[in-house]
Amino acid sequence: MARADISLQGLAWILGSSPRMTAQLDTGEDPTMFQNRAEALALALPAAIFAAAVFLVPVLILLSDGFRTPVGGGWSLSAYTEFFSSPLNQTVFLRTLRLGAIVTVVSAVIGYAAAFAIVSLEPSTKGKITGLVVLPLMISPVARTYAWIVILGRTGIVNQAFQAIGISDAPLRILFSETAIFIGLLQLFLPLMIISLISALENMPRDAIPAARVLGANWFQVFWKVVLPLTREGLVIGGTLVFTGSLTAYITPAILGGSKVLMLETLMYQQVSVSGNFVSASVIAFILIVMSFAANILLKRLATARNRRAPGRSASA
Amino acid sequence: MNARTLFIPLTLFVVIAFLIGPFLIIVAASFSAGETLAFPPQGFSLRWIAKVFTVESFRASFGMSLFLAIGGTAAALIMGIPASYALSRYKLPGAEVIRTVVSAPIIVPGIIVGLALLRYIVVPFGVGISLALFLAHTALVLPYAVRVVSASLDNLRSDIEEAAVLLGSSRLGAFFRVVLPNIRGGILSAFILGFVTSFNQVPVSLFLSGPGVRTLPIDMIAYMEIVFDPSVAALSSLLAFLSIGIVFAAERFLGFSRYV
Amino acid sequence: MKKVILAPGAALALILGAAPGSALAQEKTLTISVYALSQDEYKQIVYEPFEKICGCKLVVETGNSVERLAKMEANKASPVVDMAVVSMADALSAARKGLIDTIDRTKLSNFNKLYDIAQDPNGDGMSVGYTFYATSIAYRSDKMKIDSWADLLKPEYAGHIAWPNVTTNQGPPALYMLGRALSKDTPDLKAAIDAVGEKKDDIVTFYEKSSQLVQLMKQEEIWAAPIGRFTWAPFTKLGLPVAWATPKEGQTGGMNVMIATKGSKNRELALQFMDFWLSTEVQTKLAEKFIDSPANKEVKVSDEIAANLTYGEETAKSLKLIPSAVALDNRAGWVKSWNEAVGQ
Repeated sequence: MARADISLQGLAWILGSSPRMTAQLDTGEDPTMFQNRAEALALALPAAIFAAAVFLVPVLILLSDGFRTPVGGGWSLSAYTEFFSSPLNQTVFLRTLRLGAIVTVVSAVIGYAAAFAIVSLEPSTKGKITGLVVLPLMISPVARTYAWIVILGRTGIVNQAFQAIGISDAPLRILFSETAIFIGLLQLFLPLMIISLISALENMPRDAIPAARVLGANWFQVFWKVVLPLTREGLVIGGTLVFTGSLTAYITPAILGGSKVLMLETLMYQQVSVSGNFVSASVIAFILIVMSFAANILLKRLATARNRRAPGRSASA
Repeated sequence: MNARTLFIPLTLFVVIAFLIGPFLIIVAASFSAGETLAFPPQGFSLRWIAKVFTVESFRASFGMSLFLAIGGTAAALIMGIPASYALSRYKLPGAEVIRTVVSAPIIVPGIIVGLALLRYIVVPFGVGISLALFLAHTALVLPYAVRVVSASLDNLRSDIEEAAVLLGSSRLGAFFRVVLPNIRGGILSAFILGFVTSFNQVPVSLFLSGPGVRTLPIDMIAYMEIVFDPSVAALSSLLAFLSIGIVFAAERFLGFSRYV
Repeated sequence: MKKVILAPGAALALILGAAPGSALAQEKTLTISVYALSQDEYKQIVYEPFEKICGCKLVVETGNSVERLAKMEANKASPVVDMAVVSMADALSAARKGLIDTIDRTKLSNFNKLYDIAQDPNGDGMSVGYTFYATSIAYRSDKMKIDSWADLLKPEYAGHIAWPNVTTNQGPPALYMLGRALSKDTPDLKAAIDAVGEKKDDIVTFYEKSSQLVQLMKQEEIWAAPIGRFTWAPFTKLGLPVAWATPKEGQTGGMNVMIATKGSKNRELALQFMDFWLSTEVQTKLAEKFIDSPANKEVKVSDEIAANLTYGEETAKSLKLIPSAVALDNRAGWVKSWNEAVGQ
């Protein structure tokens, strides 16, 4: 199924900048027709200027609001100290961090299982199944989230199933809890992780796993020492996407958590719309951006660290 | 081996059920005869599907969203294709800076983009909400356009283009006759990705709504704030089938998977 | 390719054309900002007939009171909206922020037909009431019995109650009544907020959108919730025994009012529109469709209709309302103590 391929490659492209490919091109010498810098700038600048004017500048001004002193024109961190001194804000901050981390880890675990299963399929089935994985990305998140209200409700299928197999006697209250948000976010972002990992697994040398098996590694060792290092790029991309997505999702926490289980994004909307507190919104915005960047750097570090150690170990083994 | 043969279908079944289940429930609820969203649906009727077409604000906001998705993605491609070309073919001073600036909108939470635009573009410059939405959606799609088209260009060897120029074609001619046909699969992918992203976008548009101007997802949320009937489920299913149809048709008639 | 190149040009033209107040708009337009409820009916009863009378075009913005007010504040320098309908407290807030003007009542031919309490709700001449509503408790009469607002916090109903968030229009009134039930009704609502905070794990959700409650009631997620009378109708269609409580402390509620934006260029038209909306004919039609309880005392409806509304001056007077100034002066404090007691 072509759609799968398109989305798959398209997504892989979006996610990973293409350093490898550019590197390949750079090895060749530049032909004279591509040496005019003015020409190059003329081609690239409209997009850059547009993004800067419409997007970067307004966002930077907004972010700078959070570093202003309440009165006068000076700079200070008072908005940040004030933000973090509120117990509610602390709770919301930690909850957002926690849910983001859990969703990322769980989606990585499920993602590997699913991606393994998918790449081992026949090509035609593979296309169809990948299509099904990508399908949810085409559906409005509003609708996807609302479906969970029906599924997770007291009379929903989950509770009916739980009672039928005797996990619980009375219907459980799942809606408006962190669990509900977790499930909603996982469903929203799992496809991105699976797709990143499928690309990574497909780019892995075909004989890597059989070779390790022949050398006597068990499945756990194969995964930890062979698969993980070789697919780290996909994991970093998928992980960053899932984590950033979970931090910045609005509809899912708004509908499945409500005001009882606020996350940073819903707190920010509340601050702006209800309290008209733009400074606090700016503080939350900055925190969200810092968290996204930090997650990306951290994941890269983790993956590189593993990769560096891997050859050394295999040599000693 | 036995464990493996069991593992694969089981894993796939669970994962696909988890991912697709909510969609199936939405589709089932669209045909319900009951007053609220429920599964299994209470009876069968087309009343909610029919109701979608009678809600006037849906029509206006559907037009708005369609326009933003098509216009915004087209505008992003018009700026993005030359930029990708420059980034992938030339040794550009500050290429990384340009790449970062252009892809920045993907990293920053949408709700912040919407708020920043409202406060520092719409209000001070008196920009209309529709125009602000158009600018925001263009900026939002731009990273997709640049990345996908860049990747397409990177996969295309630059020597055929050089050959065309050596054989007497103009630079522009070489671009339109040699490069463009070869990356059209990439452009189409970028377009579809951009379209879907823009069409389903909520956070950016959250603050960017004004009298009579609203995107469809925002309108759907607003509608559900007042009435909680299955018509939003019906609308969602219709939209999902529409986007699946578009992708399918693009493949069927343009065969663009060959170019990707 | 040509098509693709043409697209953005055409797109831009379309956008600029669609922008409100652009050169394209030859005819007069009046921009109004209203609650999102029952827009189909408003269109039929109020907007379209008015467009015919004035020969102008109405542009309608919808949303909740606080959000729309925040937008009006953002656009203070060049107002987009000509007239708005908001809650009583938000009208006072708008007045204090200098967003609105005094309403010229001599231009309102229907002004004297209004109930006394609707003529000048905040005592500053800057707003006119057009409807009011009772707030009480919708509950499953087969599962529970509600005699007092405090019954909602009874242990046997734990896990079956939704409570309005303090940031909604129903939140503070419900807390106010709970405070009365606990015989500790101070303006800071402290006792009530603490009582809710203590039981916060037993409350299913602190709702912000009342429409969701219908779904939750249907799914048996909740058995009871304090709601405004204007959201009552859908509950009666659920096929479940849902009743409207008459607690011994009484019912609370609110009044919605019209305001005129400062700096609006269409003041005459805005006043003409307000007058039309307040007319006996329009108010009667809105009442007959159960949209708005009338503020015009000449409106006469059948007993059956009256039973579904908050009808009559006596009823209106009996509602225990929080004075706007109290609401406004304490709002920040309520949100703060709410966040401390309930939010975490």
